[in-house]
Amino acid sequence: MNQFLTRSRVRSVATTLAVALTLLLAAAAGCDSRQEPRIPSVNDKLRETHIYGQPTIRIGVSTVGPLMGELRDGTYAGFDIEIARYIAAQLGYAGDHRIEWVPVSTEDRIPALQGGSVDLVVSTFSMTEERAKLVSFAGPYLVTTQEAMVPNRLRDSIRTIEDLRDPRYKVCTSGGSTTEAELGRHQIRVFVVKEVGDCVEGILAGRYDAVSSDETILAGFLSRHPKDFTVVDMPFGTSEQIGVGVPISDPALRDLVAFFLDKSYQQGRSGQSSPWLTAYHRTLGPWLRQPKTQPPTLDVPELVDFDDKVRPS
Amino acid sequence: MTAPVATGGDDVHAPGSGAAERRARASQSFWAVVVAVPAVFSVLRLGVEAGGELQTTLLLVANVGPVNLLAGFLTTAARLLATGLVAVFALGAVLGVSVDRLPGHRRPLFARWAELTPTWFVLTSFLLALTTWQILYLPLLLPAFAAAFQLRPERLHELAAARVLIVAALLGGWLFLLAPTLLDAWQQGEPLVVALFVVPPVLALAIAGPLPGAVIRPLASITQAAVLAMLVWAALPVISTPVLPLTVTTVQTAPDTTEDVRGHVVVVDDVSMVLLQEHGGVRYVPTDQVKAQVLCPSEGELPRHRLRVRDFHVEDSLLEALGRRVRPVHRIDAACRVTG
Repeated sequence: MNQFLTRSRVRSVATTLAVALTLLLAAAAGCDSRQEPRIPSVNDKLRETHIYGQPTIRIGVSTVGPLMGELRDGTYAGFDIEIARYIAAQLGYAGDHRIEWVPVSTEDRIPALQGGSVDLVVSTFSMTEERAKLVSFAGPYLVTTQEAMVPNRLRDSIRTIEDLRDPRYKVCTSGGSTTEAELGRHQIRVFVVKEVGDCVEGILAGRYDAVSSDETILAGFLSRHPKDFTVVDMPFGTSEQIGVGVPISDPALRDLVAFFLDKSYQQGRSGQSSPWLTAYHRTLGPWLRQPKTQPPTLDVPELVDFDDKVRPS
Repeated sequence: MTAPVATGGDDVHAPGSGAAERRARASQSFWAVVVAVPAVFSVLRLGVEAGGELQTTLLLVANVGPVNLLAGFLTTAARLLATGLVAVFALGAVLGVSVDRLPGHRRPLFARWAELTPTWFVLTSFLLALTTWQILYLPLLLPAFAAAFQLRPERLHELAAARVLIVAALLGGWLFLLAPTLLDAWQQGEPLVVALFVVPPVLALAIAGPLPGAVIRPLASITQAAVLAMLVWAALPVISTPVLPLTVTTVQTAPDTTEDVRGHVVVVDDVSMVLLQEHGGVRYVPTDQVKAQVLCPSEGELPRHRLRVRDFHVEDSLLEALGRRVRPVHRIDAACRVTG
């Protein structure tokens, strides 16, 4: 009898505890669902940016880089342009009527961001420590190496970095580029002009003998003059990360651009077609010797968006 | 509307016509709540949607049909309705079985409601909760179900050893199903999610049975008040949930100028499109100026967690998760990010 009473008491205490804990959990769940989300949303970030409320977005691009950023017959085209369009659309600026394309030269990219004349720069912008002190970067969306392009008449003469050091050859590159510094490190005497296109024109006119730059930029000029030039693979030993330049005063915009680049990266990784892949195949893909894939984005913020519930597969 | 015939709950403590009368009263009050609350809420929502403006409310009343209104209400409030019913039936059953042991005790309100409700209705309520509750909260249905139907582990097998084995196997399967989610939740620092997935199945084993006499009265008054307060509290967002879908309409105001208007479309005819703007006010846009229109999600639909249970997002209900299987792709349109 006593044993039965004890069991019954234990049972009623267990029931009380179970009821109390269930109610407690339900209350905690109810309170939790009404609290502010722990992770900020894309829209929250968007409100923190300096572009919030702007009717259009101003993007600094190159107009003279074939395959990357080019203005042809009044239309902007190229890999950088496609990436810029994707980012703009994700930020709420879909269609070219919502984008204000601002032509920027290689050396004007940092001043344009600092001076506030552009909101973003998508113009084969190498992410370097020096530049990161002046502007913010989201990316990389491309990793490239430095190469040299020589006219076909010299393709047997200029094959190595040593050949470039030969004072007989005039090596040209664009000002303010990472290539200029890299050539300097290899003690190569270099002629600095405003744009890589000027070097190419110079070689065709006989003023220079070689041009050194990023492989994507060179691929662009090769696509324009396939019969005149050869790209020479030289072991400069450095690879460059190409990213999107953002004003250093706007970390929220940097985070958003990084988030959207990563979104494309995740889509590509799961075997889907991604905006990056589409841009690549439409522009650079056919002209690069080594096929490329989108590199993983650095410093991706944790954000939630409306389509998070959709399985990315 | 006639109340269904009560099937359970022999009220041995209040025999005679008094008990029948009380039962009839309780039944009436229950059905009055079930029918009247959605109707009142639907009308209240129109007022809130209209921003408190009488003329805007009348515009909505004139253009939103009662069937649309009720369907819209059920879509957004089914979760709340199921929660209320499940809470009443689970608590009612626990309180009812506890009071049975104490002759002369007045039966708590929820216990009377639970006894008067036919089993099919209780089962339907649980089914509604199963399909509409977020997956994250579904484990709470286990103790609620065990409480509502007073299911004890003894029902599983006569032998204690066999019972232990069956329970261990069930819990093991449960943990196996949820292991990846639990790991993610732990890594993301979400202890409440871990607790919500692990604790309820254990509680379901012990929840059936009578409560000690001393606990019944305070528990009955506190929980009944708490459930009603919770329902009112949870009803506020339901009242303010829009009746009409949110859209962004691109309007061409001049040859080279377009404007994006964020709001709800009330009605469209040959002359104009009537938009209830998100930030307030009604706008009549000439139909030929409308260039594009996209459907947009509202901020309230943003997920709060980044967790999945076997491909299903924890904040989806089973119904929503199933829907996503049928129409998997959802991309937010750029126009939905319209700023300012």
